[in-house]
Amino acid sequence: MIMMIAFYIFAAILLGSAALVVSARNPVHSVLFLILAFFNAAGLFLLAGAEFLAMILVIVYVGAVAVLFLFVVMMLDVNFAQLREGFQRYAPIGATVGLVLFAELAMVLGGWRVAPGITALRAAPMPAGMQNTAALGDLLYTHNILLFQLAGLVLLVAMIGAIVLTHRDRRTSRRQVIARQMARSVAETLELVAAPLGAGVAPGEFRRPKPLEEAAAPHPVAPHQGEGH
Amino acid sequence: MNGSLATPEIVLALCGMGILLFGVLRRGDGGLICSMLTIGALLLAAVLVAGGAFGLAFEGQFLVDPMSVFSKFLILAAAILGVVLSLDYNAREGIGRFEFPVLMLFATLGMMVMVSAGNMMSLYLGIELQSLSIYVLAAFARDDVRSAEAGLKYFVLGALASGLLLYGITLVYGFSGSMDFAAIRQALSDPTRVSEGLIVGVVFVIAGFAFKVAAVPFHMWTPDVYEGAPSPVTAFLGTAPKVAAMVLFLRVMVGPFGHVLMQWQALIEIVSVASMILGALAAIGQSNIKRLMAYSSIGHMGYVLIGLACGNAAGLRGALVYLVVYVFMFLGTFAVILAMRRRGQAVETIADLAGLGRNDPALAMAMAVFMFSMAGIPPLSGFFGKLYVFLAAVQSGLWTLAIIGVLTSVVGAFYYLRIVKVMYFDAAREAFDRRPASLSVVAAATGLFTTFFFIAPAPVLDAAQAAARVLFG
Amino acid sequence: MIYAVAVLVPLFGSAVAGLLGRAIGDRAAQAVTILCMIVATICGETAFIQLVWGGAPTGTVRLAEWVSAGSFHVDWALRYDTLSAVMVAMVTFVATLIHIYSIGYMGHEHKPVARFFSYLSLFSFAMLMLVTANNLLQLFFGWEGVGLMSYLLIGYWYERPSACAAAIKAFVVNRIGDLFFAVGIAMVFFLFGSVSFSTIFAAVPQHLNDTYALFGTNYRALEVICILLFIGAMGKSAQIGLHVWLPDAMEGPTPVSALIHAATMVTAGVFLMARISPILEHAPVALGVITVIGASTALFAATIGCVQNDIKRVIAYSTCSQLGYMFIAAGVGAYQVSIFHLVTHAFFKALLFLSAGSVIHAMSDEQDMRRMGGLWKKIPLTYTMMWAGSLALAGIFPFAGYYSKDAILEAAFADGSPVAIYGFVCGVLAAFLTAFYSWRLLLMTFHGRSRADHHVLEHVHESPLVMTGPLIVLAVGALIAGFSLRGLFIGADWHAFWRNSVGVAPGNHILARMEEIPAWAALAPSVLALLGIALAYIMYVAVPTLPAGIAARFAPIYRFLLNKWYFDELYDAVLVRPFFALARLLWQVGDVTIIDGVPNSIAHIAEDSAEQAVKLQTGSIAVYAFSMLIGVVLLITIFLIFR
Repeated sequence: MIMMIAFYIFAAILLGSAALVVSARNPVHSVLFLILAFFNAAGLFLLAGAEFLAMILVIVYVGAVAVLFLFVVMMLDVNFAQLREGFQRYAPIGATVGLVLFAELAMVLGGWRVAPGITALRAAPMPAGMQNTAALGDLLYTHNILLFQLAGLVLLVAMIGAIVLTHRDRRTSRRQVIARQMARSVAETLELVAAPLGAGVAPGEFRRPKPLEEAAAPHPVAPHQGEGH
Repeated sequence: MNGSLATPEIVLALCGMGILLFGVLRRGDGGLICSMLTIGALLLAAVLVAGGAFGLAFEGQFLVDPMSVFSKFLILAAAILGVVLSLDYNAREGIGRFEFPVLMLFATLGMMVMVSAGNMMSLYLGIELQSLSIYVLAAFARDDVRSAEAGLKYFVLGALASGLLLYGITLVYGFSGSMDFAAIRQALSDPTRVSEGLIVGVVFVIAGFAFKVAAVPFHMWTPDVYEGAPSPVTAFLGTAPKVAAMVLFLRVMVGPFGHVLMQWQALIEIVSVASMILGALAAIGQSNIKRLMAYSSIGHMGYVLIGLACGNAAGLRGALVYLVVYVFMFLGTFAVILAMRRRGQAVETIADLAGLGRNDPALAMAMAVFMFSMAGIPPLSGFFGKLYVFLAAVQSGLWTLAIIGVLTSVVGAFYYLRIVKVMYFDAAREAFDRRPASLSVVAAATGLFTTFFFIAPAPVLDAAQAAARVLFG
Repeated sequence: MIYAVAVLVPLFGSAVAGLLGRAIGDRAAQAVTILCMIVATICGETAFIQLVWGGAPTGTVRLAEWVSAGSFHVDWALRYDTLSAVMVAMVTFVATLIHIYSIGYMGHEHKPVARFFSYLSLFSFAMLMLVTANNLLQLFFGWEGVGLMSYLLIGYWYERPSACAAAIKAFVVNRIGDLFFAVGIAMVFFLFGSVSFSTIFAAVPQHLNDTYALFGTNYRALEVICILLFIGAMGKSAQIGLHVWLPDAMEGPTPVSALIHAATMVTAGVFLMARISPILEHAPVALGVITVIGASTALFAATIGCVQNDIKRVIAYSTCSQLGYMFIAAGVGAYQVSIFHLVTHAFFKALLFLSAGSVIHAMSDEQDMRRMGGLWKKIPLTYTMMWAGSLALAGIFPFAGYYSKDAILEAAFADGSPVAIYGFVCGVLAAFLTAFYSWRLLLMTFHGRSRADHHVLEHVHESPLVMTGPLIVLAVGALIAGFSLRGLFIGADWHAFWRNSVGVAPGNHILARMEEIPAWAALAPSVLALLGIALAYIMYVAVPTLPAGIAARFAPIYRFLLNKWYFDELYDAVLVRPFFALARLLWQVGDVTIIDGVPNSIAHIAEDSAEQAVKLQTGSIAVYAFSMLIGVVLLITIFLIFR
């Protein structure tokens, strides 16, 4: 009974916050509602007996992904008014299409039947004598190893893609080359200047260490410097 | 579990990561070397595919049968030619970075997984691996606005299509109780278990696939992406992923959903007819040759779908043969398009081809061969591709499809022949730059295949026949 | 295996000479093609000998699958039976000699001749494919290949407008025949469900009474098929009506003429008749048609040959006429005899053409006999060869033509039906005319006072050995081919030789009945031939003024013959000009207003709809996404409504 009540509470908050993610005016609020939705989803996982997943959801999605979202939203100047304008422009047609689709799906899904043995399956999500985490690991690394590795490859490609499309070697960025730093002698960097008393040092007589990278290997100038994406 | 069946894929993945590491550590311009290594890796994969056995692996998630082997060869061939096509172009356009071949390799890997998929999940992951690589490739010339836009568009719409596909898969899973192809087929053999919800799921799956093969009405991305993406990417994008997606389409429709043929046949017919008509009509007004090829490929996919609509072994064989023929014609055409360069600047309007017949007879000849073949003029290979699908359609009683197919190929012939006319009869323009050897090799190889296919079509036909037979027991 | 080598090696030679000709040079290209042809000849003869004397089994050599579409299966396969082996042996042998001869004949060309040798080899290959075909489609492939190569070779000197025109004419006229041939093949497939010879022949008895309805009348399907195929053969074998290309084909280099006339191309039609003989045997009407056409051609071409002045044209019309003989034989059911004549004819016709080439070569490319004469002392070897060829052509004992031509006329007489008797009469008259124009040619060219100008005369020389060598070989062939092959081809043991490769119905005893005809009928051709020679002697040596007198007295007939029965003019008036007029009419009325009008408006509609289709292509992602979603909704709706 308590389980039921908890389920409906979690589910209701989840749906409500999901709706607010889409409709909130302030993008920061959207992300916060998203975090709320994640929490509730984690609660649902807990109810279903998947405590490991619930924790992972909280740690990864709430702790990392959503916070990253928050950063992005706050740091990038996304013009939401413009986005909303597009939304309003396409709203009628979107609503029509969505309604028709919804009506059709509702009509079709009326024929939904629950498979006979499915309730028993829900009651025992794990094989007997196995812990939740172990069962998950068994599923991921034994039964679905192919899918797991493929997913890894997909992520690798995503990473390559992100780097390829956004990373630029900038002339202004400085790298720390520890080996050179260590091998540097005093004579290369410092010069002792005998300043006459009372006269000070004339401008130009100061010598500063040359920027290492430029002096050693001048970088080719990227053709369209500054044209970002 | 028999993981050794996936040796080609595993080796290819390892090679890909190795090349990636090599490229990163090498520091500096490693585009050419990495391309060469990639070609080597793809060749190695082809050898391994040839030496592999048939069977199921990874609890049925991965399967190797004549159909997957047939399509893997085709995919690898297209990928190798695609990499060769990119060699010169990338260097000239300043996008010759080592990630390019690596991404192509991973895309190819994704396609190989797709055609070997025996489960909805491996299917989806294969598609995603392939698509994601290609989204990046399409935007690879990131300083070119058109390329960036192409990548973005493809990405957003591809995500939408993936969503549709996933939604369809969940519906199918929900109504049939399994993700496994064989199990779904087993479940659907009982007519009482075929509900409307399941068929709606199938429709969503069809939509997802139709997007990947660029069939009407899920084709909208094609012209923009084809035009905007760097030309070698377009050449690759128009061939290998199409093969993979189409083979998967065929496999899924006649495999798991084979028992509900009557339900989806009409939908495939509609998509096929719409694609043929749009491919024929919309291409007429185009002046950009890459855009024209986009519409042309839409039309070609319409013809391939005729084979699927037949829903029997003959139709499938026709579709597979058509794919083989199409891949070589398309790559050949792009070899010519890539050679269109004046004073170092790539040009891509049809009018730029004027006078090619005099300036570079060999290239013009090759282009003419491809155009005639695409128009379906015997005895070039394109004719045979059409012949076999039309024959299958007629044998299956799909007269409408066959007739519309013939009519649209007549209309299509108009714009193909217009290119030939421009090349040979229009007032000559300044000659193109010297074409690099890599393009000549690809144009010659594909041209010879297209021209002389009719002499010995038997190996392709037999392989396609064997592949098609697998799905029908 | 050997057999396949014989067929495919010329292709290899041609490819090397054609593709690498520029790189390796003329000499090497010639060497390669000729070497290939020699290999092919050795293999071809070996295959023939093995089959006839070695007791090798007949069969097929399957090379590869070609077409497989539904129930339509065609393989690349070589048929190995007597008929094909005979043809392969003959074609490779004669073609090789012609290749060798061409070295000398084309020696004065300024341009590289690798292309020429490549064409020659390809021509031979196409013919070999034709004769070894195991099915109608492959035969058609060879058939078209031969047609294409003849086009290229006749038009070899493409700078000459006349050569181009002749090449196009040959191609177009052949195409008319091919059209019927293709329809015939389609009907065969329609009727028998296969184009493979063995399947067709095995199924003939089941289809004896099948009919084919056309314009409300029923025809026997077999008759229709045979007539369609025969029309195809008429085009290729230059039978009356479709013969107009053959004389013009003389525009090509002489070795080409020899190849076309002796070994390849024109004999394809006769070969086809022998090949489909199992069907023909059940199509009496078609056989009658074949006899009549063949007989008419034999006589008609002979009459024209009597008045032509171009040395090659005379021989060209003689080919036409001799092909008529072969069709007479085929028409009366004596296919063996027609192939026999085909083989002997190959020898002496090649000999005649190459000799004529030698004369032309000696006369600095002069072809008009009125500007020749008195050459026999200057080029005695060629003169001797010409005699041998003419004797064989006229059918004088013991030359090859005597045996084969007489056998044809005997067969026609023995058959006894009115049609066959028509064939016999035409044949005998043609034999007389043949002898007459052969000696007219000989006498005008080699005897009498020379009518050439002295520049040319100074240069007259005997041809080099590469040209005379093949002549001598062919002359030996023309001498002995008749009596040495007679026993095999049409002797009492012909069953053992042909082994079912020629279909002869059980009731067909024409070969046996040939032996029983009265003596006068058997002797008539020879006697008339001798009379013809005598007449030629009288007109061109004894009383040289006579021809001019006769020509003046019978001017209309002379002009009629000289203008080749006005066939070209007739075609021009009846077909070409009305066709042009019709074309112009269609162009102006039909095309510009209707055809252009309708498609233009269709094109406008198409363009408009294209515009509409493209208009959706705004570039906006949202529009694209919505169109996809709408597509899904539409598909689902369609499914829900129409399931």
